[in-house]
Amino acid sequence: MYGGGGGHYDGGGGAANANSLFGGGGFMPSQSTAAPESSGGGSLSKVGPERADAAAAHREADHGRGAASDDKSNFAINSVEVSTIRLVGRMLGKVERVTDVAFILDDGTGKIDVNRWENESSDTKEMADVNDGNYVIVNGGLKGFQGKRHVVAYSVRRVTNFNDITHHFLHCIYVHLELTKSNSRLPSQINASTGIPGHANQVRLPNNQATTFSASGNTAGNDVSSLVMSVFHDPAIIDREDGITVAYIIDRLKLPEEVIKEVMQKHIDDGNIYNTIDDLHYRSAMNG
Amino acid sequence: MDTSSPAAIVNGEILNKFVGRRVRTVVQVQRNEGGMVFGQSTDGHQLTIKSAMDIPVSHFMEVYGIAEHNQTIRAEVCTDFGPNFDAKAFDGLCKLANDKFKHLFL
Repeated sequence: MYGGGGGHYDGGGGAANANSLFGGGGFMPSQSTAAPESSGGGSLSKVGPERADAAAAHREADHGRGAASDDKSNFAINSVEVSTIRLVGRMLGKVERVTDVAFILDDGTGKIDVNRWENESSDTKEMADVNDGNYVIVNGGLKGFQGKRHVVAYSVRRVTNFNDITHHFLHCIYVHLELTKSNSRLPSQINASTGIPGHANQVRLPNNQATTFSASGNTAGNDVSSLVMSVFHDPAIIDREDGITVAYIIDRLKLPEEVIKEVMQKHIDDGNIYNTIDDLHYRSAMNG
Repeated sequence: MDTSSPAAIVNGEILNKFVGRRVRTVVQVQRNEGGMVFGQSTDGHQLTIKSAMDIPVSHFMEVYGIAEHNQTIRAEVCTDFGPNFDAKAFDGLCKLANDKFKHLFL
């Protein structure tokens, strides 16, 4: 994701928010499917709110072109299903309620409603740190309700390094290029690029493709980096809430510990994986 | 979702294509005279920002506003980006956002 082909999105800015679940990370397309009938298959749209970045930058969920608009939040851009997005813009109209905070995000290309549920005290603390006029990085899910799109945020972090804004839009361009490029790939090619025998037999195309995206900066699809992510995306593992440990991956791949740990750290820095119940367990950020 | 009034990401050179329209840019503040900020765009042009907020000299200031003239912007919102902003990267973004990838931004 950011690392493989796109570089590190957060630069220095993410470090200050390392305690955030998605701090320092990013999301490339996590789910890619054949074009839904309702998607229209149209051109990509924009970078803005709708144009979200999924990490992403922007998966542009454009002005209604291209996206399935039912309330089940199945949005597709260039046949790539969009669920998790990243937006960077100014917070406006923040309204604090008992269980959630609602605001409008204006990224210069458009405005979109964002809602952040405050389930934990950390959520409340995070939302107290951001106010109207602040630039914020929002990671969240793109939803549709009664024909209107909005974002349910997983994390909302104040921008401290304003180069993140530039970087975000450059990343949007990068994601756009990745989405358009990946669209021309055949499913068989995508399956072939994952390294784990037997995996190709499992029809889990979205995650297979996500692996491909994350490895886009590498020349080979079956290098150690991709192998590690393939373990995370194994159908037997991907739904585990707690994730898996480094020891499990070492045992599974039979590769040197140092190599695995180095690759894991890179995936963590890139936001491909994140800690779950403790410092030992990790889960893929591409689980959708 | 409202995309009715996007702001074009511009540098000094591209600004003249958007006179009368909503733009966003970043300038490095050179002097501030009673709400008028004189600054340098990321591609080295001298720009005048009307109704700007008071931002320290040498800091980078982001401006959202209306391009009144090819060197003048009437500010709606200003943000202090601090003294350490990568002007070159922003200038590159301006060029991409108004050329090959214009459709993504406007």
